[in-house]
Amino acid sequence: MSTDAKQALQIANRRRWRRTVVRHSILIGWGLIIMFPIFWMIQTSFKDAHEWVTWPPHWVPQDPTLKNYEQIFTFDVQQSGVAREATEQPFNIWGAVADSLIICTTSALIALFMGAFLAYGISRFNVGGGKFRHSVLIIRMIPPIVIAIPLLMYYAIMVPLASETVLGFRLSLFDTQFGMSLLYITITLPFVIWMMLSFIDEVPYTLEHAARIMGAGRLYTLRRVVLPLVASGMVVTFLFVFILNWAEFLLSLTLTHPDVSTLPVLLNKFQSASEGRLYGPQAAIGTVITIPVVVLGVLIQKHLIKGFSFGTIRK
Amino acid sequence: MAQIGLKEVVKKFGDFVAVNGVSLDVHDGEFLILVGPSGCGKTTTLNMISGLESPTSGEIIIGNRVVNDIEPGERGLGMVFQDLALFPHMTVFENIAFGLRVKKTLEPDIDRQVRAAAEAMHILPLLGKRPAQCSGGESQRVALARTIVNDPSVFLMDEPLSSLDAKLRVDMRTELKALHERLNATFVYVTHDQAEAMTMADRIVVMNGGLVEQIGGPLDIYDKPASRFVAGFFGTPTMNFLQGEIVAANGALTFQCEHIEHFLAENTPDSLAGKQVILGVRSEHVVVNSGGQQGQVKLIEPLGDVSLVFFESGGQEQLVAKVAPELRFSSGDQLTFGFQAAKCHLFDFDSGTRLN
Amino acid sequence: MTESTTLAASVHRNGLLSRLSAWFSQERVFRWIPFVMVEGMFILILIIPFALTIYISFLRWRANRPFEQAYLSGLRNYESVIADSGFWDSLGRTFYFAGAAVVFELIIGFFLALMVHQITRGRRFYITILLIPMMVVPVVAGYNFSMIYLDSGPLNQILAPGLNLFDINPRIRWLSNPIAAQWAIILADIWQWTSLTFLIFLSGFSALPPQLINAARVMGASRRQTFFWVELPLLKPAIVIAVVIRSMEALKMFDPVVLLTFGGPGTSTQTVAYYLWEQVWQFNKYSFGAAASIMLLIIFSVLIFFGIYLIGRQGKAIERGEA
Repeated sequence: MSTDAKQALQIANRRRWRRTVVRHSILIGWGLIIMFPIFWMIQTSFKDAHEWVTWPPHWVPQDPTLKNYEQIFTFDVQQSGVAREATEQPFNIWGAVADSLIICTTSALIALFMGAFLAYGISRFNVGGGKFRHSVLIIRMIPPIVIAIPLLMYYAIMVPLASETVLGFRLSLFDTQFGMSLLYITITLPFVIWMMLSFIDEVPYTLEHAARIMGAGRLYTLRRVVLPLVASGMVVTFLFVFILNWAEFLLSLTLTHPDVSTLPVLLNKFQSASEGRLYGPQAAIGTVITIPVVVLGVLIQKHLIKGFSFGTIRK
Repeated sequence: MAQIGLKEVVKKFGDFVAVNGVSLDVHDGEFLILVGPSGCGKTTTLNMISGLESPTSGEIIIGNRVVNDIEPGERGLGMVFQDLALFPHMTVFENIAFGLRVKKTLEPDIDRQVRAAAEAMHILPLLGKRPAQCSGGESQRVALARTIVNDPSVFLMDEPLSSLDAKLRVDMRTELKALHERLNATFVYVTHDQAEAMTMADRIVVMNGGLVEQIGGPLDIYDKPASRFVAGFFGTPTMNFLQGEIVAANGALTFQCEHIEHFLAENTPDSLAGKQVILGVRSEHVVVNSGGQQGQVKLIEPLGDVSLVFFESGGQEQLVAKVAPELRFSSGDQLTFGFQAAKCHLFDFDSGTRLN
Repeated sequence: MTESTTLAASVHRNGLLSRLSAWFSQERVFRWIPFVMVEGMFILILIIPFALTIYISFLRWRANRPFEQAYLSGLRNYESVIADSGFWDSLGRTFYFAGAAVVFELIIGFFLALMVHQITRGRRFYITILLIPMMVVPVVAGYNFSMIYLDSGPLNQILAPGLNLFDINPRIRWLSNPIAAQWAIILADIWQWTSLTFLIFLSGFSALPPQLINAARVMGASRRQTFFWVELPLLKPAIVIAVVIRSMEALKMFDPVVLLTFGGPGTSTQTVAYYLWEQVWQFNKYSFGAAASIMLLIIFSVLIFFGIYLIGRQGKAIERGEA
């Protein structure tokens, strides 16, 4: 009897053990699939030109080189070279890095400020009515191509025309950091509002009541009670929105050229090159674009689980 | 100068009427308790006094001024919240100092006053900790200290003891009462726990459905509930209610229902004859083993000092009697019972208002 | 009333700054300022351009001619959009891509989340790895896949031993075959966005109240019964949200098309976003593009409102369940 029980236990243990092994191997397998394209990009970025396209392809660069990185970072308009030929247009990675950083940072900051402010109003005073929380997501669901066409005409024709007649000078939003920032603020606001709502809803309203009973004004209460409690949430939201802007392609492709260029647009210029593709420098740019956002993403990953629950988690 | 007056105060949230014309006066230095079931408007009333909600109509007077339009922070109140509302990101010291900092008190004064308040609430060792590191009872004291330090003339408390376990709650009652004696301030306290109200209050305001049902001292309310609702709300076990008719026979009034007939006290007004009423009698006023009614025991709950005997008397209603523990019953026993005539309450069948 | 209150409150502290901050502290300021700011942005950047688009969609105008030469032409642009098979084909293709990609993303994401939820050791490690594709810039992801699908790329190398058996030249040009190119794009989408469905499902799983599952187990439900009768119904909000969000995003598909195939070979990988982009930027058909955008928005808004309705209903159900 007891041997039977022992045997049953053994079988159960073995089965559990087997199940665990299966789970881990599936997860590791999927992890490898996921990491492979990134691995391929990074290893290509260290390959010299003759290794870009070989059959069979080399999984590890045979003579690793930093040439690609050197190339992308040292190019300027005057210099002729592979990249210049390929893109057939002035290529300036530092300009693109600066444009991307400025546009993404300012728009994320302003969107964060406005969105957090409104999220506070929605959370505390039910601003915009009960359905506003959900309907704000509509903006996020509109396909960007539908916005892109009107925006192009608006930015390039209507705003300059209107500003000339009203203000007396041509104000063009097309191909400017300002115009791109305005647009990014608008399209990321719904996300900011959503994420900040989930953080602000967690701060009990009675904390503010307590502060106000003790004589604190609304602003003082906001600064000393609410803000410290949602600060980490604001950082997460900022980083998330920054990543969104950093990755945005269609709209910046549409609304910038030739003065302003974000990094994804720059990468695409290589892709559309007519005279052979420059896999190496492209991989180097890809790596440069990817590494910072992946690092940021891993940093905020724990909070993303909460932010992406869209209200399905309630404590 | 800390009397509070409410005049015909109404609060509506959209179509929902939370408080429907409440008038009451809180005397200076009084411990007043607002009690009622959840949703009766007691917390809304408190919030209107504090200024966190503004009344839809009516006047709120603190001291001698109408405070309807005055910010909560300028009304000279202190408030303890149900969830205590301690700031989780500040230490206990900073929590207590918050109100002083708002008033831009000088740093040495802050230190002195915070320490004094902490000492009064016996929480000096906690000053460096955060609220999350404090136990339930400790958090309670921190919340009180944070209120005391601002030296308000009125203390508002919104079910502050509800998060504590039963034993601690009973201890805190005594402590709060002592605090009230010591501070000599006006306390307005909201609770749904009738025992809390009975033990601490100078006066109790019973609210139901946005209206005041009765205002009075604890024993007044217990002995002479103004309505069926109040009668049922106070006292454990709940008062026995029987539905029946008053019949005049042989110059005396009797209460009659399906299986029970009970002679009413002599001072019952004759005008009640023929009326549909509800008779209420508390369990301790049910006399067992005497009186003319027959019943069958269903359940016994021995509490030690007394025993509760639940029995049926033919009809549907289950009655309960509080009996001396020496009287042993077991389920299924027959018993005889009666009501103490002077302790019976009569309520109108329709409106529930008291008739005798 | 509020105005006088504030003034009364600020009488004892003078100065413009404190008066300003007193004004700013009013509840109605908190109610309206952020609302007006945000709505103002929406109107300025989204609504006005839309009004303009509606106007342009009634014009006959090509962008390579001056705007002054444009003239009203009634519904002609709409007629030509409706008659345009390219528009409808690309729209159908978009739904096909989105449908195929989302189904796989949901299934894979769900099981990955389930597995990560069930294991105890290495959870954080797996979560970190599995979430990485979501962070990768889509353009870079498209580029990566264009490398992998190369005729001399790693995919062919991996397949080579098998293909050699059947005497097939292993250097297949995946992106030159219409069906292979379509699935290349779908696979790239699955690679990138399974991490999002994984994330949503994972947060759904971690929100499951363990006492409910324990209760079901104690009542004698098997592992399978517990899953189907308790866990799955509780995961419904997460599932709805994953479906809605991913479908909406997948219907926008543009970046991988540009990076991988440029809509080709032929038109076999043109999504509706790519098709419109090409019409406007390659062929300068602005008023046609405007009319097509409006039609697309009308078609999508039906889906969007349905999606919002579903999400809102889940939200309400959660609130009800909580109350």
